[in-house]
Amino acid sequence: MPPLPPLSRRELLARGGCGLGLVGLAGLLADAGELSTPPATDPLAVKPPHFAPRARRLVHVFLNGGPSHVDTLDPKPALARYAGQPLPLSLTTERKTGTALPSPFAFQRHGASGLELSELFARTAIHADRIAVIRSMFAHVPNHEPSLMLMNCGDSVQPRPSVGSWLLYGLGSENRNLPGFIAMCPGGLPVKGPDNWQAGFLPGSLQGTALDSRHTAVEKLIENIHSPHAGPAQQRRQLDLLARLEAARGAADPRLEARIGSFELAFRMQTEAAEAFDLAGETRETRELYGDTVHGRQLLVARRLLERGVRAVQVWHGAGQPWDNHEQIEPNLRRLCGELDGPLSAFLTDLGRRGLLDDTLVLVGGEFGRTPAVELGGDGAAKAGRDHNHYGFSVFLAGGGIRGGTVHGATDDFGFRAAVDPVSVHDLHATILHLLGLDHKRLTYRYAGRDFRLTDVHGRVLQPLLA
Amino acid sequence: MGCIRAVTAVAVAGLAFGQPLASKAAEPAAADATAVADLFERHVRPVLVERCTGCHGPDTAFASLRLDSRAGLVAGGDGGPVAFPGTPRPGELSRRLRHGDDTVRMPPPEAGPRLSPDVIAAIETWLAAGAPWPSAHESPAAPAAPHWAFFPRQPAAEPTAANSARAIDGFVDARLHAAGLSRSPSADGRTLIRRASFALLGLPPTAAEVAAFVADERPDAWERLVDELLASPRYGEHLGRLWLDVARYADTKGYVYDREERFFVHAPAYRDWVIDAFNADLPYDRFVTLQLAADQVVPAGSRDLAALGFLTTGRRFLGVTPDIIDDRIDVVTRGLLGLTVSCARCHDHKYDPVPTADYYALYGVFASSVDRLVPLPVRDDQPAAAPGWTAELERRRRALADGSLRLRSAAETRARERIADYLFAQRHLDRYPELGFDQIIATADLVPAVVRRWQGFLGRPGLDRDPVWAPLVALLPLADEGFAVEAPGVLAAVRAGVTDLNPLVAEAFATPPHDGRDVADRYGRLFAAVAARWQAARDGATAAGSPQPAALDDAAAEALRRALEGPGSPTTIPDEPIAAIETLLPSDAVNELWKLSNEVERWLLPAPQAPPHALACHDRPLPVDAPLLRRGNPALKGPPVPRHFLTLLAGAEAPPFTDGSGRLEMAAGIVAPDNPLTARVWANRLWMHVTGAGLVDTPSDFGTRAAPPAHPELLDWLAEALVADGWSTKRLLRRILLSETFRQSSAVAAGSAGPTIDPANRLLWRMHTRRLSVEQFRDTWLALAGELRFSGSGRPAEPFAATGPFRRTIHCLVDRQYLAAPLRVFDMANPDLHTPARPETTVPQQALFALNHPFVAGRARALAARVFCTDGPPEEGLTALWQLVLQRAPTAAEREAASAFLDAARRAGQGPGELTPDEQLAQVLLVSNELMFVE
Repeated sequence: MPPLPPLSRRELLARGGCGLGLVGLAGLLADAGELSTPPATDPLAVKPPHFAPRARRLVHVFLNGGPSHVDTLDPKPALARYAGQPLPLSLTTERKTGTALPSPFAFQRHGASGLELSELFARTAIHADRIAVIRSMFAHVPNHEPSLMLMNCGDSVQPRPSVGSWLLYGLGSENRNLPGFIAMCPGGLPVKGPDNWQAGFLPGSLQGTALDSRHTAVEKLIENIHSPHAGPAQQRRQLDLLARLEAARGAADPRLEARIGSFELAFRMQTEAAEAFDLAGETRETRELYGDTVHGRQLLVARRLLERGVRAVQVWHGAGQPWDNHEQIEPNLRRLCGELDGPLSAFLTDLGRRGLLDDTLVLVGGEFGRTPAVELGGDGAAKAGRDHNHYGFSVFLAGGGIRGGTVHGATDDFGFRAAVDPVSVHDLHATILHLLGLDHKRLTYRYAGRDFRLTDVHGRVLQPLLA
Repeated sequence: MGCIRAVTAVAVAGLAFGQPLASKAAEPAAADATAVADLFERHVRPVLVERCTGCHGPDTAFASLRLDSRAGLVAGGDGGPVAFPGTPRPGELSRRLRHGDDTVRMPPPEAGPRLSPDVIAAIETWLAAGAPWPSAHESPAAPAAPHWAFFPRQPAAEPTAANSARAIDGFVDARLHAAGLSRSPSADGRTLIRRASFALLGLPPTAAEVAAFVADERPDAWERLVDELLASPRYGEHLGRLWLDVARYADTKGYVYDREERFFVHAPAYRDWVIDAFNADLPYDRFVTLQLAADQVVPAGSRDLAALGFLTTGRRFLGVTPDIIDDRIDVVTRGLLGLTVSCARCHDHKYDPVPTADYYALYGVFASSVDRLVPLPVRDDQPAAAPGWTAELERRRRALADGSLRLRSAAETRARERIADYLFAQRHLDRYPELGFDQIIATADLVPAVVRRWQGFLGRPGLDRDPVWAPLVALLPLADEGFAVEAPGVLAAVRAGVTDLNPLVAEAFATPPHDGRDVADRYGRLFAAVAARWQAARDGATAAGSPQPAALDDAAAEALRRALEGPGSPTTIPDEPIAAIETLLPSDAVNELWKLSNEVERWLLPAPQAPPHALACHDRPLPVDAPLLRRGNPALKGPPVPRHFLTLLAGAEAPPFTDGSGRLEMAAGIVAPDNPLTARVWANRLWMHVTGAGLVDTPSDFGTRAAPPAHPELLDWLAEALVADGWSTKRLLRRILLSETFRQSSAVAAGSAGPTIDPANRLLWRMHTRRLSVEQFRDTWLALAGELRFSGSGRPAEPFAATGPFRRTIHCLVDRQYLAAPLRVFDMANPDLHTPARPETTVPQQALFALNHPFVAGRARALAARVFCTDGPPEEGLTALWQLVLQRAPTAAEREAASAFLDAARRAGQGPGELTPDEQLAQVLLVSNELMFVE
């Protein structure tokens, strides 16, 4: 049990009668780190990183469903030579695949670095020199559920804490008026739902807070954020009474204090959380930059959350698995990237001009990629789409601590399998933790007789990606 | 080192490469040993440390290979052995060290230059000499010092009824005094009855009960109270929740594919069984035995079959068997034994004496069992089922059984018709993924899991001498290159070695096959011919009107028929529920069977008249020993491990289980009175349940990494008492509650040394203050508001519904996938995993719930209506409110504060739908610390 704070809330109360201004002050002091030790029961208390971080927060733009890397981030001209013919290399995936399917999209070099990106990311490409693409990612099986778990929680099967939960556990939350880890998904939930931001064996309050970013009203976004049965003045009186009754009892226990303190925080959250989600405070120029679409709005909200100290934000593309393009991949990718590209580019621009990109790590990618060969239907006919491909896929990183304009690793000539410098999801996780100032081998939690890590017994930091 | 002489010659051979030992080659064995040790320390170990263990060591073990110990070297990696110490056989290690290709050699180019020829020679010499490795540097698998929890209990005194309270207090006092502390004085009557009531029932006493107890001056008033509480039906509902945490209970399966019903039919019956078992004080050994093997100790149809929900309410892991079994091993070993056996799934336990083989010994037990949904007797409180409802249930069940038979038969027929393809597939196993790699399987495809079944079947020991299969297992692995050259010799060896070769097989292999496909095809034709004969025999019998034949007349043909169609054949798909056989069927059949299965379950799930069901484990007719999987990887199968109990408890020579799956034998091992762990673990959980903290801080890990108990003698005495009392849980709780230790105040007396010497109160110089669990405060609010209904069996209720009737939280829905947010936010056990103890967190989301959730407002309204209904003076309302919620009168200061609050609230008024001042006050009391924390 930690030593009692030098000036406890109770003492403040006793000195100030029921002067609530002082209670509020105590809360603010605690937030500012002026009061020494947060109560042991507070799993969200800010903790120092293991070493100087390059980034203070993480945003993961999750292209759920398995975005096709050979159409977006990993150009494969060799596919054109095999168009309509079987590839020399064919790997077993979820469904049957046929002949090579060259990408219908043109790739171009961008920026001083000459980073190659497809036309689908033409607007994001203006940030090419701040982006590092990993082209040699791999997962274990060609199925969404285990691969989502691997990407989000570091284990395909066992219930394990998500990356965001680990970050909260390791670093705490800098804004106590907002959840420290927020997962936004417009229109419903992705496959596996809350498992994607689960706390696993960590305390439940470290789980990501999910919200349906199709909505804009705060009461639809955060549970219990507004009272249907009492106004602020009534609640203020209730909290004053609560504090007075508590002071009259005079029990000395930091847990009791912490609980009363949590009411004050909650009270303030009601106004401050609403403010964080209210885009009316943004300039017209900013709103136009992002665009008045679901994806524009949710990325703008993401920026507002990040700048308010939310530690980890996941921005999902949509309910279910929109990027699961088994069929008609050309029009589908045009539509999906059409939704994403502009807002994502605006997001990077906006983070950059506010200085946030220097210490915000941005990860963009899905749970796996797609086959370079065309998918075959049950009747053996080609479906103009691609099957799941866990053998090789791409993600990209930008922002805090990332060496921009880099390409790391490569798939084979066709984009089927990670061939050069293969990068496991554990490696990606180790690198994310490293950038946030955490040593993936030291960030452990004792459970079931051993010290668990996000990276289990794997993972290495990808030094070439670091600026 | 008795073989060192024999090794010398080898060492000499090794010197052909390198020189360091040349001059020593002819010297005596002892000198050799010294020289080899010296070689190792000077030339080998430094190289291993500097150049190898960075990637093949404790932190990273690429290809699962570790070169930081002899054990790791000998164990090899994913690709198998890398060296054969003490033999002249060169291994992969040597090959890689010498390989000319930079993409193959070790260490790889990015890790620096090649090892020099001298160094490689030194390593090879050392390997050939048996690779001696000083044991001080072996990996941490070496047995640790004797660990208290693995040794028999050593109670300092015989537990008797007379000495119970004295014994508990004596043990506590002894340690307190040694630390310079002493117990706190007894708490007051009101505190005591509240503490006991929350501890045993999870509910507060009424004001009248408090008053009566406080006024009761009989010397045995406390004892009477404890007995009364233990006899309450509310007792099982509270202790039951502790057990459901242990059992990672949930009403749903966790994430499932769309095709599968996500709710468990059987979970509520298990939950009800647990509650009833605690209320009936079922002896703990029986309680455990039923939960592991009720199918083997009670008759079919018994209500006790519900107990098997302990095993079968776990997460379903998308149907991947190894993960389901892992979850069961975990819940059994951590839940009942305080052992983290699951750590041994991938490697020997790093800290506790649990070898990987023990894990797979238990794995075989569960792999030899299958879950079946069976109906149980209808409960008294259920409505009668209308005949139409029952008839429809029967229709759906029949449709499922018929569909299963049809689809299984079709799949079996296909598997038999395509036997040649399945056999040939053994040469290309990489094309057929292991479980967990889901593919869409067309009817025309080979089913990967069936290919893998064949792999397992053909890998059984002794098959190389089998009259039917010997030629196949000898010939099939031959490489394409040189097949025709090698085949005649291999075949001749089989003929010479297997004297009882099946004549039909011998005939088929009269000439050597020319390639692998030919081997498979010959078997395919053999089985097709036998199948045709069998069909002809059956058709003949039908035509003649005679009974169907039991066997073919020709013994050789009959042996082949049995090999193909018998119960142990990989082509036979057992009559088991879809969950157990879905990997063996093509995707369309799987979807169809799930649909039929769902229709049965969806008829049962919403029906109040549906009989309770158990998902009961049953032993499979042919129990199997599971192969040891290296690194837990199904692709790296080792030898099968006989099913047996943990060697830590049953001894290194633990006898194999012989009774079916062995589940009952496993249960017997767990509840054996001399098992050092079981009673200690349960006694510790009970201590935690009523006091707020375990004597052992890690209630599900009593292994060597666990901190020793705060009061070791007390824990042993409690465990001994538990066993001596016939494993009666109630009697043990009674002993604990009657102690003065339990009854001491939780307040910190002025000047107490406790906060300085023992701030965490491990030694119990006072009673712990406990925050109510989410179940306790929800139930308490409902009870105080007069809204709690105590009939809760059967289907779960929504915990935070807008309207009642409201049942206790233990009877409410635990949805793995979508756990109600307030439950999660208030530290409810994560139903995905066994929960040893809940964390106690304080976060603003909890306060947001307390302030704003309509459920809280609803209780405040009901509570206010109960106390402020009179027209009397407001004073009376306040007194009634305090009495109801806190079982005491308000103090003058509280009265003043509450009155001022009410005045201000009335002046401010309220909008439509808002709480009245009285209701606002009631809400404050409901969420107050005094209610939330039990002194």
